[in-house]
Amino acid sequence: MSTPVIQVRDLRKAYGDLQAVAGVSFEVAEGEVFGMLGPNGAGKTTTVEILEGLRIRDSGEVGVLGMDPATSGREFKRLVGVQLQQVALYPRLRVHEVISLFGSFYEQQAETEELIALMGLEDRRNARIAELSGGQAQRLSVALAVVNMPRLVFLDEPSTGMDPQARRNLWDIIEGFKAKGMTVVLTTHYMEEAERLCDRVAVMDHGRIIALDSPSALVRENFAEDAIEFVSNDGLSANDLGELAAVTSAASQGSAHSIFSSDIPRTMGSLLDLAQERGAPLEGMRVRHATLEDVFLKLTGRTLRD
Amino acid sequence: MNAFLPLFRTNYRDFVRDRTALFWTIAFPVLFIGIFGIVLGRGDDGASYEVGFVVEDQSPQAATLNEVLGGFEALVLTRGDRETEIAKLADGERRAVVVVPQGFGSSISRDAPLPLQVHFDPSQQTTQQVVIPVLLRAFEVADRALTQTRPVVTAEFETLQSERLQVIDFIMPGLIAMSVMNGGVFGAIAMVSLRERRVLRRLSATPLPAWALVGADVTFRMVVVLLQTILLVMLAVLIGGVSVKVENLPALAGVAVLGGLAFVAIGFFLGAFAKTEQGFFPIAQVVTFPMLFLSGIFFPLDTMPDWIRPLVSAMPLTYLGDAMRQLMVGGAPVHSMALNLGVLTAFLVVFFSLAVRLFKYE
Repeated sequence: MSTPVIQVRDLRKAYGDLQAVAGVSFEVAEGEVFGMLGPNGAGKTTTVEILEGLRIRDSGEVGVLGMDPATSGREFKRLVGVQLQQVALYPRLRVHEVISLFGSFYEQQAETEELIALMGLEDRRNARIAELSGGQAQRLSVALAVVNMPRLVFLDEPSTGMDPQARRNLWDIIEGFKAKGMTVVLTTHYMEEAERLCDRVAVMDHGRIIALDSPSALVRENFAEDAIEFVSNDGLSANDLGELAAVTSAASQGSAHSIFSSDIPRTMGSLLDLAQERGAPLEGMRVRHATLEDVFLKLTGRTLRD
Repeated sequence: MNAFLPLFRTNYRDFVRDRTALFWTIAFPVLFIGIFGIVLGRGDDGASYEVGFVVEDQSPQAATLNEVLGGFEALVLTRGDRETEIAKLADGERRAVVVVPQGFGSSISRDAPLPLQVHFDPSQQTTQQVVIPVLLRAFEVADRALTQTRPVVTAEFETLQSERLQVIDFIMPGLIAMSVMNGGVFGAIAMVSLRERRVLRRLSATPLPAWALVGADVTFRMVVVLLQTILLVMLAVLIGGVSVKVENLPALAGVAVLGGLAFVAIGFFLGAFAKTEQGFFPIAQVVTFPMLFLSGIFFPLDTMPDWIRPLVSAMPLTYLGDAMRQLMVGGAPVHSMALNLGVLTAFLVVFFSLAVRLFKYE
């Protein structure tokens, strides 16, 4: 295997008393789509911005494309593509004007019209930035991240503010980047996004990576079981549910319950008995495979959107 | 890879598509100058011009001249002695003074006509363009009335710079200095806005060097300041009837740019203390508003109480206004030009280095 595109060793960064990144280590290989999954405040953005050269780390070792982003300056910035959160570009400029402006910062630049077509913004080409919908503005900001045709692109929560259809379009675009051999580092708090796009996912919480593997391996390692989900307004507690036959773990969020079972028919039987005995209603019951969301809940005790 | 021009074009587009910015930088000063020009202007409504008529000769020829000139409706003749009338010209109360010298009548009879003496202030455009041609026409008519054969009425022009500027001459350069100040200080809002919108942060993730970003912005502001100054000087002449010293216009443009740079530097400095565009306005107002009233834009400095002088001397607009007034209309200097330019340069250097030190991408 060739040298990793990104190498991070024991990275730390604090803001005052808050330890935003508390000792993070990982590597990203060439051509990989690497996801960072976690709730807001988990340290994803700080980590990524250190890799982009926008923030200076307190300690640890960072190598990106064989350079130290903190000290390599413009040389480094030529080679990477960056998408940041919450950038409100020049409101009075038109889409194509902004793309050419950013293109002019680089020696190697993508064709403006090709980028517009790639992002599906053809009919918004002459629209002012202020007139774009959230999803369109987000697609433009992804377009700007690849205006220099970089080997490595960082996308920080690119699907924020998008409706489900727009999000799927964006996923196709990111898969297109991968097909062209780009390395993509992606932060998200949508587990579906991570599951669909990422070769490997680092699950972050409180400034640490608490799990790192491919999405399917993460699920497999944490859950050999399937989940039963239902809503019940009263009478059933997570403790009661944990006692049911073949249950490995149970989690409740208010009246919404999830129980993981190694033997669905047995668990289901004993659940129905318990509900009947207590007179507890069972609504919206379904059985499904475990997901990254479950992994996150199991590892941190919180959901991603907390 | 040269990002300077695209950035300059971006500033231009952002500016011309921003109605608020256009209003404050173009429409507002134009309105201001227009209103002052109409209210205080020299009322060139085509009516009549006061001309002093000094007759030192008792001949019938002098009487004919008196009659002919009196018949011109555009001229309001005031008869008096030479000394009084010339003093009034110096005070700006007369457009011109025509002197019929002693011996005028007899000189015509002797066939060696003495010229009339016409005193006027050449820096006043309406005098140059209207009053003198009317006088020359009047002399022609008088010529024909006196003799049919040969020209006998000739004129000798004596120029006199009127010392006292009128209110309009005083105020116009000040108003132009004011708009240079506003264009500079409030121009910094563009950078504050880019920071607030996190565009600066996004730009810092590209190889764009900071000097290109700042350079394109400052260059654009200076082009705006120059165009604004040219427009306002034209309006001051056309509406206010201000007589501008044409030979000083290149120097005036240079001073406008120097002042503009100093005020942009102050704007950048103030911008470091504002998180948002909204937050920048009050800060900029607090700094610019006192200068409007205390730096001799509307009221001459010598009318101000002594205790306020140190404050006045600390205001950059005092020096820009004085420099522009000297250059534009030949106003009496408050400070030497070297001091004015030196102080503006010092403001530029000090505030630009402070702004660079305080600059943050977010």
